[in-house]
Amino acid sequence: MMQKPWFKIIIWLITISFFFLATAIIISSLAPSPDEDKSMLYMSGMMNAMDSSLMGLSMSMESDIYLKTIVKKASDFTLPFILYSMAAALLVKLRRSQIDR
Amino acid sequence: MKIRFDFIIHWLWTIVFSLLALSGIAMVGPRYGWVLNYDIGAADISHRVLAAVFVILTFISIGYEVIRAIRNDTSSQAWFVIGSGGYQLFTYITTLIFIITGAIIWICMDANMAATAFALYVHEKLTYIVILSVIWHIYMKCHALVWPKKVQQGKSKTMK
Repeated sequence: MMQKPWFKIIIWLITISFFFLATAIIISSLAPSPDEDKSMLYMSGMMNAMDSSLMGLSMSMESDIYLKTIVKKASDFTLPFILYSMAAALLVKLRRSQIDR
Repeated sequence: MKIRFDFIIHWLWTIVFSLLALSGIAMVGPRYGWVLNYDIGAADISHRVLAAVFVILTFISIGYEVIRAIRNDTSSQAWFVIGSGGYQLFTYITTLIFIITGAIIWICMDANMAATAFALYVHEKLTYIVILSVIWHIYMKCHALVWPKKVQQGKSKTMK
């Protein structure tokens, strides 16, 4: 698989994306402070996100009591499940170390 | 052609993480907005959807490791993203921090500003560290970038 040219192209694209990210961070952090236009562009982008994205949905969730109840019940069910999983993983780890001895 | 599970997870994970980082960086502040042309709405939606995929991939990976542990399977999983040592352990720890801080940001955004601010700070700084670590990881595994050489039939015959 790793020797296929199409897969090599994908790896190169992924690599380029990470180098782009690293350079974007360096350029942005070293750049001079954003001017008013850029700040306004960002703020309007955030406002659009509030209106049209899942962020807006999560805001409306706050006023939806029925949905909040479902989320609470789901988290009540999930949290013990995660704790049991962690305990099971610990048991398995201990058992494996005992077998190794 | 048999493709290994750890190989699939590795590359799915990589693609999802690069897109998450791209959409996340665009939302850091006005300095970073140019990365996605200040389309914060698109960045927000894609970041949340990809975060869900990222969490699912993490739980699949943890489940796979647990099953391997139960079966006492000690075979090498060279491509796997999580593990008990080296870069796999680093990825595992940072992923858990990303998920926990991401959940805090998502859940506490309207309720607890102090928790959200702290989680945002950790989430952002950890992104920089992990991206730098990925660059280092690419450098260490740069042989994967070498283009496959064409095998010339005539040449291979003369070699024989």
